[in-house]
Amino acid sequence: MVLEATMICIDNSEWMRNGDYTPSRFQAQADAVNLICGAKTQSNPENTVGILTMAGKGVRVLTTPTTDLGKLLACMHGLEMGGEMNIASAIQIAQLALKHRQNKNQRQRIIVFAGSPIKYDKKMLESIGKKLKKSSVSLDIVDFGEEDEGKPEKLEALLTAVNNNDSSHIVHIPPGPNALSDVLISTPVFTGDGEGGSGFVAAGPVAVSDFDFGVDPNIDPELALALRVSMEEERARQEAAAKRAAEEGSSQNKGDEQSSKSQDTTMADTTGATAATDAAEPMSEVDALLQQAIALSMQTPASDSAVRDTDMSEANNEDQDLAAALQMSMQEGEKDSSGQMDMSEVLEDQAFVSSVLASLPGVDPNDPSVKDLLASLHGKSESADQKKDEEKAPKDDEK
Amino acid sequence: MSSTATATAAPAASAIQRSQVDLVDFIDWSGVECLNQNSAHSIANALKQGYREDDGLNVESDADEQLLVYIPFLQVVKLHSLAVKGPEEEGPKTVKLYSNREHMGFSNVNDFPPSDTVEFSAENIQAGKPVVLKYVKFQNVRSVTIFIEDNQSGGDVTKVQKIAFFGTTVETTDMKGLKKIEDH
Repeated sequence: MVLEATMICIDNSEWMRNGDYTPSRFQAQADAVNLICGAKTQSNPENTVGILTMAGKGVRVLTTPTTDLGKLLACMHGLEMGGEMNIASAIQIAQLALKHRQNKNQRQRIIVFAGSPIKYDKKMLESIGKKLKKSSVSLDIVDFGEEDEGKPEKLEALLTAVNNNDSSHIVHIPPGPNALSDVLISTPVFTGDGEGGSGFVAAGPVAVSDFDFGVDPNIDPELALALRVSMEEERARQEAAAKRAAEEGSSQNKGDEQSSKSQDTTMADTTGATAATDAAEPMSEVDALLQQAIALSMQTPASDSAVRDTDMSEANNEDQDLAAALQMSMQEGEKDSSGQMDMSEVLEDQAFVSSVLASLPGVDPNDPSVKDLLASLHGKSESADQKKDEEKAPKDDEK
Repeated sequence: MSSTATATAAPAASAIQRSQVDLVDFIDWSGVECLNQNSAHSIANALKQGYREDDGLNVESDADEQLLVYIPFLQVVKLHSLAVKGPEEEGPKTVKLYSNREHMGFSNVNDFPPSDTVEFSAENIQAGKPVVLKYVKFQNVRSVTIFIEDNQSGGDVTKVQKIAFFGTTVETTDMKGLKKIEDH
């Protein structure tokens, strides 16, 4: 989102007729330039971009830095190839164009597409680089096309002369099956200094896979925002739960009914002990609910403990209806002294719990850990069914 | 025309005279710019109160020995004198001042004559005593550009420990003090 004025230097020399990039070097370059114009103007509405050609009869400025994307795309039409690239003059003229930009608050950047051999020597390029650095102009170099001896070294030397705090970059793109623009998208030329390119709508054949959640924020901003917010909430809750589990685990060392059952002892130790302790103390109903739910989730060995803690605590903290429903089922189990009874009562409502879990905003039902949880809880309810039947009989007798 | 000032000149000895104040409080920090500075040693080390007092903190040049500092002021001021302090070897030698020129670059420093030029000798750059400027040229200053052309030893890096301006403010309307006239 940095406010920037950019000058793009296009190579329209004879070397660009070559077809080693599809459809031709020149066309590939033009596509890349179009994408860059779009990306820059999108990332900050006040960004300006200008274009100049380096070869032909001489260096020619097609547009001075402007915010108008239409004008930039239009001036890419009707360009002719010919002559030799004059990189030194081009960079100096680009620097001059940037110096006369209207908004002096913009940072200055030059992007050079170097597709043909460079006839200048290293020293000359280094002195140009030094001048750019003095005026705090950043430089991005796209080295493609003709692979000349010494060309990469010269360009690297130019880059080191200009580079100030990694604001300048160089990209070497050999000919290959991928389009020039596709390769460029993933480079710092597009993404700036670490800011994502995800705000940029892909104009070409680039897939939507660049975006965090498979949703283009431009097409559906609310959905993208909701997904991002829920992911962050999930993460925060996981961290909080992990911290809590770690604290409880370090302070607890008691065995109890839950842990004596045929469970994974290491996992049951922590929350099983907690559940027993909490059940014994007089607590608010919500807390008892919370602890029992956590113990329930902890008893299943397959899933990640943090996720389950999160799921259950989310269920209890956020959804009032769920809390009330679970509480009602709890009340049936509260009569029983054994903690195990409480567990089976909750398990009874497993179908309800799993359906509610699936509908929770932070829980993705396709998440493998959640699936494991549901499967194991279902398995639990089956084994608990027998015990439940036994207990139901005496209960019915009581009633 | 350039004026050379030495530490022995009488007016230079007491630059704080006739209620000249240190103008550091009137610098508009949001607009201060320095070209060709080393990012680890920025211009704030030489200008800001506290930083400039510390001789260990200085502004250094990066690609070569020249520095171009642009300082806008919050209001119109008159500049009386300038104090520059630097190490004996890498301290500035020739300093050119341009008043009220915005956004100069190294390419156009030579396009117009400076408002004043000061040549520092090794002793007075080390002492950092204020040097009187051509007061008549700096009566109505909104911004000043300092061009440090070379340093004492001629090396590649110029270091400056302190830059301070002394002068007076010009009576300007304080817009905050203006009260809206009530309609009756």
